Amino acid sequence: MNTLTDRYLAATLRSVPTPRRDEIADELRASIEDMIEDRTGAGQDTTTAEREVLTELGNPDLLAARYADRRLHLIGPTYYLVWLRLLKLLLSFIPALVGTVVTVVQVAEGKGFGAIGTGVVTAMQVAVQIAFWLTLVFALIERSQPTMDLPGWTVDQLPDVPVHKDVSLADTIASVAMLVLTIGYLPFQHYQSWVHATDGDNIPILDPALWSFWLPALIGVLAATAIFEIVKYRIGRWNWALFGTKALLNLAFTVPVLWLALSDRLLNPSLGERLSWLAEADNRNTLGAFIAVGVAVVLIWDLIDTALKTRRQTA
Amino acid sequence: MVSEDVLRTHLQELRRGTVVVASLVALRRPDYGYALLQRLTDHGFPVDANTLYPLLRRLEDQGLLTSEWNTEESRPRKFYRTSDEGESMLGRLLDDLAAVQTSITGLIQGVDR
Repeated sequence: MNTLTDRYLAATLRSVPTPRRDEIADELRASIEDMIEDRTGAGQDTTTAEREVLTELGNPDLLAARYADRRLHLIGPTYYLVWLRLLKLLLSFIPALVGTVVTVVQVAEGKGFGAIGTGVVTAMQVAVQIAFWLTLVFALIERSQPTMDLPGWTVDQLPDVPVHKDVSLADTIASVAMLVLTIGYLPFQHYQSWVHATDGDNIPILDPALWSFWLPALIGVLAATAIFEIVKYRIGRWNWALFGTKALLNLAFTVPVLWLALSDRLLNPSLGERLSWLAEADNRNTLGAFIAVGVAVVLIWDLIDTALKTRRQTA
Repeated sequence: MVSEDVLRTHLQELRRGTVVVASLVALRRPDYGYALLQRLTDHGFPVDANTLYPLLRRLEDQGLLTSEWNTEESRPRKFYRTSDEGESMLGRLLDDLAAVQTSITGLIQGVDR
């Protein structure tokens, strides 16, 4: 006894709960035989009829699932939205948090820039783990019989309407990145410029004497500007208070630089040893004036641009 | 032009619940799976075998059908019959079906075309 019908019955009953298996088997066999008989009575040969009947009944796993009233989805509509919301919530901060902690710990252990890679990989692994375990738990809940009493949806859960942002995220990221790079460049040029003394030592571009006060002060202003950019993004649009702060920060950076450039205190005097053109005071003054004009133009342009944006967005 | 797929889906949705009603009505006279399937098809309720057979089991589990094995004929067959419980539920379902028909008719008449 190993006909197609036998094989079909075996395949179907494999996943039907045991207590009902024999009865379902007898009934289904009788039904299949009825169906075959009906077709052979109409002149079809038995083999073709059997194939057609079993094809009509379809995938045995599907039939068995219907008999056992089994769910054919991993997470159904009852739990899907809760699952999705939890998944988004957990993925929104846990991987980044763990990745950052790992990076910081690695840096503290002196692993250098490789630590960022380790942090990113860890964050990705954490994300995969969260997704897997959360889905598994929900798949099990879906299959446990008594439906869980989920808290119903209320209007209080409605999120705020997203404020239309006049300040774009891309602009903010670009600004902050520029500021961070500038902050990083100030100490960097002290140790690594493209100018070397005759004995091979590095000659900083900026006067090292400025480190006693002016460079730390400028770094402070740049850091404050970076924080300002983030606050501005959170607020979402320009207003006159923001404009005033921005103007103050710009002046706090530009005025010292202007003054330093014009009084020939910005560039390292030692540069003259290597770059003969800079050894002459006139040339140094010319360069200082160029820097001053450049800085001033940028300042004025930025103030006008910001003022226009502010007027447009407060209108 | 409505696509065939969309039409089929909606017809399927519309017909889904009626199979239960039709089965409960038909099984006022006891019958076995395949014979019921043929009777339903003849009366304009085409239903797939792999839907009907499990459905009969489920209705029996819910107490809406009773069953009995008949071993007198060439092969043993399981005969289903609508139970008292099934009959009272059928009454409710038929009322609702009629209510749906009434509502639709009223809606059609109420809408200017």
